[in-house]
Parts: sequence; structure tokens; C-alpha cells
Amino acid sequence: VPPTPSPLSFPPTVTSEQIEHLHRRFKQLSRDQLTIRKENFDSIPDLEFNPIRGKIVHAFFDKRNLRQESDGLADEINFEDFLTIMSYFRPIEMNMDEEQLNRFRKEKLKFLFHMYDSDHDGKITLQEYRNVVEELLSGNPHLEKESARSIADGAMMEAASICVGQMGPDQVYEGITFEDFLKMWQGIDIETKMHVRFLNMEPIAHCY
Amino acid sequence: VGAVWLALVLALIVLPSALGVSLGISEAYMWVLVKTLEWATIRIEKGVKKSQPQMLKSPAANGIIERDETPMEKEIARLHRVDFEFSDIFYFCRKGFEAIVEDEVTQRFSSEELVSWNLLTRTNVNFHYISLRLTVVWVIGVIVRYCFLLPLRFTLAAIGITSMIVGTTMVGQLPNSSVKNYLSEVVHLTCSRTLVRALSGTIHYHNKENKPQKGGICVANHTSPIDAIILTNDGCYAMVGQVHGGLMGVIQRATVKACPHVWFERSEIKDRHLVTKRLREHVADKSKLPILIFPEGTCINNTSVMMFKKGSFEIGGTIYPVAIKYDPQFGDAFWNSSKYNIVSYLLRIMTSWAIVCNVWYMPPMVRKEGEDAVQFANRVKSAIARQGGLTELPWDGGLKRAKVKDTFKEEQQKNYSKMLVRNGSIG
Repeated sequence: VPPTPSPLSFPPTVTSEQIEHLHRRFKQLSRDQLTIRKENFDSIPDLEFNPIRGKIVHAFFDKRNLRQESDGLADEINFEDFLTIMSYFRPIEMNMDEEQLNRFRKEKLKFLFHMYDSDHDGKITLQEYRNVVEELLSGNPHLEKESARSIADGAMMEAASICVGQMGPDQVYEGITFEDFLKMWQGIDIETKMHVRFLNMEPIAHCY
Repeated sequence: VGAVWLALVLALIVLPSALGVSLGISEAYMWVLVKTLEWATIRIEKGVKKSQPQMLKSPAANGIIERDETPMEKEIARLHRVDFEFSDIFYFCRKGFEAIVEDEVTQRFSSEELVSWNLLTRTNVNFHYISLRLTVVWVIGVIVRYCFLLPLRFTLAAIGITSMIVGTTMVGQLPNSSVKNYLSEVVHLTCSRTLVRALSGTIHYHNKENKPQKGGICVANHTSPIDAIILTNDGCYAMVGQVHGGLMGVIQRATVKACPHVWFERSEIKDRHLVTKRLREHVADKSKLPILIFPEGTCINNTSVMMFKKGSFEIGGTIYPVAIKYDPQFGDAFWNSSKYNIVSYLLRIMTSWAIVCNVWYMPPMVRKEGEDAVQFANRVKSAIARQGGLTELPWDGGLKRAKVKDTFKEEQQKNYSKMLVRNGSIG
């Protein structure tokens, strides 16, 4: 399998201005250090609301997302790593061809896949999916664990039916592999849901 | 030379402030400044156009990324096929990323970014070398600001503070009478005006008919320690605050003899009932000056108004809201207390071009029947935000230093779970 090209070698879709903005943000988060640790994300009030906050922060340190050959979690990331993770949320460009679009989509789905597959074994098992559902519902004290479980089970069954079709009585669905994952999202346009678009700024003459 | 210099300063600046007249010097200065900055902006625009001809035109909004403002329910409904699925994770994933790139709250605790360079070194973050002429003007600007304006302003500030201390001490010796009150007002106003000129302040007051009356409470949004001077430039208020040591303490002790300011000891300020009681007593006395309070509790960067603490709204009486909006083009008034201490802050202010701001006096408000302090506080906050053209945030200014309270978090998560139940995904 040929190694995926580094995101910064794509046609320049991030302007130097945007990189400067991100750099300033990085310095703010890292409190002027060269690297960021997990604790630095605690200073973002908006993020506290997010039920899957843990998974999002985790994604920044996941070595699979950082395109490193080794596996596991990094302790700290530098600005280049930060940009690498940000690049997963680049919006699509008008001038992309079919092959680029496909690669783009695959990248984003892979990022999402890694979020679910917490033990890094390449499969999303029922337990892993249950974990995600529980996190999403973690804020509400009125929902019991049972409800979270039944949601997860229902979703896994649907996934199984899409990927494997009718299963025999003694067939066991081990878990969703990345290929299955891609199949589930066929025909659904996720690229426009998973991007963050920068506004363009330029000097405007003030008239007094 | 020193004597001549001092005499000039006294004649041209201090005397007019005592009499409340203006010689037009600041107006002339401002006119020259505005023309220079306009020229600079046009030159920068020309320079930018040359290097990047294909910039897309979009208005600079309040942030650097495009936010999708559709409410959570609509967005998730769009993504859902049948019932709960992987799709919900998209929504939260994106929201999480948006928060990491830029969050509404943290950006309020750093200075507002300028759209065009105003020839101050400190704001030259995005703008690069454009032309020789611009650089020359900038150098002249540096010389003018540091070698001429700074000493002048420092002198004025020294005169202002000294005369405040001396003046109020002298007035304080008099027995309580209407003469004493009149003299106290004169002293306070003169010193305030001198201090405003020490900052090259140009203040536009709007709706003066709504000025705070005696026995009322004046509330305003907080951007810097200068806010108090901006307001006392136009009227007399009773200040509220904690007793400090050092120079500030000396000023506080002197002024309280002349005029009934409300200073609390450090231990007293922790006792909320005591504070409320003393303020209530002050407000009940209709002959006393209106008190000045900043309910946000901390300095915000003047692009938004954060949560008003309800304490000030439990005292009763009439509230006179005031909106203060600084023009960042001439100088950044925001005090980023985590980045600069008070001395470096004052130095930055004194080496800026000027402090230009608009002050709007708003019609008085009282608590309605059945309205509690929090609702009243929010009502006043919205009014101030609307008038000043600031955005309104429900967040607590205390987030500058502390983390989000858990109660806030749970609210949002509850909303999401409620939505799931409604969609029939469960059971």
C-alpha cells in the first residue's frame, strides 16, 4: 500500500495567513510552549460542552492520525502535528478531480474510524461502539446504561446487515472493519459536514 | 527650560480643564492623526493588491472561521437516516474542532484584532513591509509618541494625581456643607479632565439627558481601569471598591474625606450581605452621589459584554446603564491583566495615539414585578450590548482564570439527550 501523501503537499489550500492564525491559536493553547499536551485543551470553555470531548482531544494525540509509523498515543504534539490534524477538516476545493475527492473522503472517514476504534485493532467492536454511545449520552442522568446499550446494539445490527447481508444463525459479526465503514457511508456526502472553513480577511479602508 | 515647560502645560491644559473649556488643541491633533491613518490604510491596500490579486472579497466578521449557526436539532435531523447512528458524531466532532480553532470566550480576553494597521509597532502582526514612505511615517510616529507625547502625558498625569490628593485633602478639612460638596465636585472634575488629557482622550457623550442622578446606581461595561476616569470626566460619582495599598490607597484615603466614596476592606468585601447593606444605605440617601459599578467584575476586550453579576442588582434603587465603546484604531484600551501588569499597561496607553471612545447614557431601569436579580441583570446587559454595538455573551468573565462550571456543561448534554428521546430512538 503506497503511503498517503502528507497533507501539506496537496495543492496549497491553506493560505499563509490562515497558518499564522492557527499558529497564534497554538501558542495561546500551549501558553507559548513549543508543544501541546492533553491538559492544554482544558482551557477551552466551548469544548467543555462537547460530550465526545475526550475522543476529540484523544484524536490529536493518536499516532495513526499523525501519520507516524508507530502506534499508540503521543504525549505531546508540536505545531506541525497540530496542522496535520487540522488538515483533516479542510473543506473541499472546487478544482479537485475525482481521484483527489476520493482520497479526501477516505482521509476524513479514516479519521472518524480511528475515533471509534479505541484499541487500534482495525475493527470497531460492539463494546467500542457502546463506549461511544455512552459518551454521547453521558450528560443526561435520566438515561440509563440499558438505553445506551440498546441503541448501540441496534446500530451494530444495522451495520452488519449493510456490510454482510443476511447472517446465518451461527455467524458472529466481529466488528466493523474500515472497508465496511466505507461501505456504510457510500452515497452519503460527509465531506461538507466535516470541515471548518476560514473566512478571508483583508484591510478595509476606514472612512471618517 | 523646565519652568517654561511647566508653565506652558499649566496654562494650556490644566487651567482650561479647571474652567471646563477646550482650546481646540486635541481636536487639531486628532484631525492630523485621522488624515495620517487614512493615508496609511490606502497605501497598505495598494500594497496588498499588488501581491495578491485574487483575494476573495468577504466581510471581516467577528471571528476567523465560518460558523454554521443552524441549531443542533435541525443539523442532526438532517444527518439522521432512520434513528440514532454514527451521524451524531459528525456534529459534535465539527463543533469540537471549531472550538479548538477559535472559541467565543477565550478570544474576548485578548485584544481585538485590527482590520488595518494603525502605525503602532505593537499592532503590526499581519502587515508586512509595504513601502518606504510608510516606514518613514511610522518612524516619525515612534519619535513623536515616545519623545514628545510620553513625557507630556506623564507630566499631566503627575499633576492630575497630585492635585487630586492635595485638593481633596484640603476640601476634606471643611465642615459638611453645600460649599464643601461644590468644591469637592470642582476638584474631582478638574483632576479627571486633566487625566483624560493625559491620555489624549477624545470622548463623545451621547444622550446627556439620561445622566445618572443622585441616589441611583450607574452600571457600565468594563474594559480597563480608565473606564472610571472616562465617566468622572463628565460628572461626579461615588466610587465603590476595595482598599488598596500604595499610591492608590493614598488617593482613596484622601478622596473619601471630600466625598462619600465607598471603600471596603479586603475582609469586608467577602461578606456579601455587608456589602449589599452598605450600598443600600448609600443609595437610600438621596443627597449622595450615584454609585459607579462594573458588574462584569473583570476587564473584557470591548467586543462583547459578559455576564453581569447579580449582586449589584439586588441593592434596589434606579439603575442608570451606560455603554462605553472604545475605538481600537487609535489605541487599545483593553487591560489584559494576565499579560501586562498595571505599569506596563499605563505605559502602553500613554504611548498610543489617543484614546477615543463613545459613551451612551441610557434611560434609567428598575426591577419589574416578579423579576429576579438575575433576569434584571440580563435585561440591563442586553440593553447595554445593543446600544454599544457589542455582542452579548452569557459567559462569566471569571472564565479568564477559572474553568467552566459543571452545571453549564450538564445543561447542554441534557439538551442533546432530550432530543434523542423525542426522536423515538430509545424504547
